[in-house]
Amino acid sequence: MDQDQDLLKRCLAGDDSAWEVLLRGHTRKIYNLCYRFTGRSQEAEDLTQEIFIKVFQTLRSFDAAQGTFWTWLNRVARNHLVDHYRRTKRDRVTSSLEDELGTLEERPSPEIEPLGQVESRERKEILQLALGKLSPDLREAVVLRDLHDLDYQEIAQVLGVPQGTVKSRINRGRLELARVLTRMEGMRGPTRMGSEP
Amino acid sequence: MTHLELENLASDYLEGLLEPARKAEVKVHLSECAACRELVEDVRRVMELCHSAEELEPAPWLISKILLATVGERKPTFRQQLAAFFRPAVQPRLAYAVAMAVFSFSIIINAAGINLRKLRVEDLNPRTWVYRANRAGHLLYAHAEKFYYDLRVVYEIESRFRQLRSQPKEQEKEAPKQEPPAGGSTDSKPLFSPQLASTRSLFLATAAPVGTIAPKIGNHPLTVGSGRSLSQ
Repeated sequence: MDQDQDLLKRCLAGDDSAWEVLLRGHTRKIYNLCYRFTGRSQEAEDLTQEIFIKVFQTLRSFDAAQGTFWTWLNRVARNHLVDHYRRTKRDRVTSSLEDELGTLEERPSPEIEPLGQVESRERKEILQLALGKLSPDLREAVVLRDLHDLDYQEIAQVLGVPQGTVKSRINRGRLELARVLTRMEGMRGPTRMGSEP
Repeated sequence: MTHLELENLASDYLEGLLEPARKAEVKVHLSECAACRELVEDVRRVMELCHSAEELEPAPWLISKILLATVGERKPTFRQQLAAFFRPAVQPRLAYAVAMAVFSFSIIINAAGINLRKLRVEDLNPRTWVYRANRAGHLLYAHAEKFYYDLRVVYEIESRFRQLRSQPKEQEKEAPKQEPPAGGSTDSKPLFSPQLASTRSLFLATAAPVGTIAPKIGNHPLTVGSGRSLSQ
């Protein structure tokens, strides 16, 4: 993360190549964060672009005393995602779990793909569907902890809430995710995910 | 410990964040309650599923789009400009074309007899080029012709033909004295008695390589020197 600080200094000094290095280092993670929230790749790309434009415009507001650049970047991204969620709440059409499972079943037959790829794809889709069923507060906590590997302190900084609240949200998020996944398994019959160790 | 308390501690228990005493309480409860054991197991599976999830790759052009939207069109450095300028020149096609042009130019220069080290004003006149090229062509032709007639096999064939042409005239005249063939051998013996047979053997001899001519002639040795000495 010291490397980020150096790059940041160079960025602020007007070095465009430093910004490019910084961008290449973090785009993938932020894109994944956006995808976990939206579930749509095109939307995730647009959001990633908007987030980095915002970061570029507010680089001078970064305070190293309040945490690392990575934590700050996550906070900016999270705030933007929450804004986006609120902005699109009315327009969003939430389909039922059954409908989503229906579309999942309509995918190409597993006979076409190797079994390992099918399992991997199904697990990814199931996880994404299940995450979509969580409330934004719980989802972001679980995503930051279990998919982004941030520690409790970092998540507390990103979300702007006490660590106790973070712990509580993560625990509730996991429990809720487990319930959703169990329901999905029950609807689809015995799945490979259930056989995971 | 109640079921609700255990539910609240499930993540801390799985992440190893509980104090030893609290952890022991959870273990005792789990050993007694199948439903809570199943719940903890479900949470563990969720955590494993999340950790095993692969990262997705964004579209390759995403970074370029963001760069364009933030720092705009980046001005290339001097080195990049230089590389872009010479990029077409490093292609094999152009190198081949340049090599062919140099080769053609060197042929023209040689044919025109121009010495680039001692260039004179008249060397720049196209008439001089044509004259010199014409002269070089004729010299080349003369050298080739001389080389051709200096070949032994050529000379032998020609001398035989000359003999064949001269013999009918001699028969007509019925000359008592046999003259040596013009420009041919210094030997005074007659070449062949039966004309038809000699003609056939002559063609066989001409078809053979130079070194095999003498044996073919066999009983009719023909003393020949070099074309140059005889013609003199």
